[in-house]
Amino acid sequence: MRGSTIYIEGSSGLHTLHPLTKLAFSGLCFACAAALPTLPWLLAMFGLVILPLAIWGRLTKAFLKACLLVVGPFLLSLSIIQGFFHGGETVLFALGRFSYTLEGLMAGLLFAARLLVALGGTLLLMQSTDQAHLMQALTERGFPTRIAYVVLTAIQIFPSFQDRAQVIIDAQQARGLELQTGALNRARLLLPMVGPLILGSVMNVSERAMALEARGFSSPAHKTSLRSLADTGAQRAVRWLLVAAAIALLLWRLWSALA
Amino acid sequence: MIRLKKFSYWYPASEQPALDRISFEIPEGQFLGIVGANGAGKSTLCYALSGFVPHFYNGELEGELSFDGTPIVELDLGKLAGQVGLVFQNSFNQISGARFTVREEIAFGLENLGLPRAEMKSRIEEALELVNIQELAERSPFSVSGGQQQRIAIASILAMQPRVLVLDEPTSQLDPEGTRDVFAALSKLVSTRKITVIIAEHKLEWLATFCDRVVALAGGKLRAEGSPQEVLSSEQMLRLGVGRTQYSEAAARLVRSKQLPVTLEQARKALR
Repeated sequence: MRGSTIYIEGSSGLHTLHPLTKLAFSGLCFACAAALPTLPWLLAMFGLVILPLAIWGRLTKAFLKACLLVVGPFLLSLSIIQGFFHGGETVLFALGRFSYTLEGLMAGLLFAARLLVALGGTLLLMQSTDQAHLMQALTERGFPTRIAYVVLTAIQIFPSFQDRAQVIIDAQQARGLELQTGALNRARLLLPMVGPLILGSVMNVSERAMALEARGFSSPAHKTSLRSLADTGAQRAVRWLLVAAAIALLLWRLWSALA
Repeated sequence: MIRLKKFSYWYPASEQPALDRISFEIPEGQFLGIVGANGAGKSTLCYALSGFVPHFYNGELEGELSFDGTPIVELDLGKLAGQVGLVFQNSFNQISGARFTVREEIAFGLENLGLPRAEMKSRIEEALELVNIQELAERSPFSVSGGQQQRIAIASILAMQPRVLVLDEPTSQLDPEGTRDVFAALSKLVSTRKITVIIAEHKLEWLATFCDRVVALAGGKLRAEGSPQEVLSSEQMLRLGVGRTQYSEAAARLVRSKQLPVTLEQARKALR
């Protein structure tokens, strides 16, 4: 169990890459999403680079499913909104006073494609990287350990929080609280559950903080790690190239916009 | 090693002291039990002995509490963590939440202390073995039972190899077998590594069997101090709400004796 993460365990080449290499690639995807000017460029980036990487990582099904779940609703809503309200000369059909234009449809598709490219890079990173490894890689390069702790704790504790909520619901129901009634009544009855859940968590904060201190969280020693993350000179070079490419793309886009 | 002299402590905004003029010494390598009814001051004493009073809790102090001759107020918590370990009653709150397997969870404290990887690995294996949870090593610390979680918490502190280990009712969620494992592990630590173990506990039979010395608290005051036999067999324990071991209870009903037995072995002799 890895908490509430979307990480999919595996041993593919993508999985064994250093987390920062994948993070740099994710950054490049964001730069591409922002800078690539046309739909074919964005689709090429997704179809020829991102998707093959997902296949290499043996993540194809989960990757495409997540893409569809997130981008699908945007694609639909943007196509409708932009189609009707973006404006344009090529009318595809009309509903009363409103005309649906090809230019609007293309604008909606372009926006959805940008989202797809940005999301694709992030999904590749998150589905193929254990978040603990990512945080370790970041803290080894100076990322604050306290922030890394908060991120990892949030991932890990969320399912336990859900379990605790279920225990409270069961306890309240055992004492006669009726939760099987209508939606409005159930919403009203949420209060007896949320109160103990939040209060209980706040009361635990003090002991949790003490337990952390007992484990040397404030120790002045330079922190080490049980795991070693494999890294190579080639990967370091690739990372710099990816970062340079992302910066170059953004600068080119800025220059094009100003010119 | 640890010295308390007329030590008093008041929690913030409290007029009654949680600890009231307590004086005793704990030499290195001693297995000390703390007994007392609920609200007697056991937990506060545990927090004081591990530095959380006054470093974590504010409040007022009087008297002296020193660790190796240095007043505890002059030592900071980060450095104390490598010297004094504290295990709490609630196992869930002791799991860091930032590690995904039991092995990684035990490593958390060692990573904070900056230990080399090879040493971490050997300490983790040793700690897993000490509390008998080797089979849980690759499981999530959140997917195990409360008792197993408590053993993980104890292993996590043991791996840090503190010179003093303070435990505040650590076996309250453990079954009899788990309790025996924990006490046996603690006893082994005391005898082989000369670690000082201080344990606040209601399970008097275990204290009687394993501890070198017992102190009894009531209303924040030190009421009795001595060997388990002296303290736990006294009538005073009944008045303080501490109770007696089941062996003392049985012997009290069956034989007339000046001093009641407190362990199974003593009871066997007394009833012969």
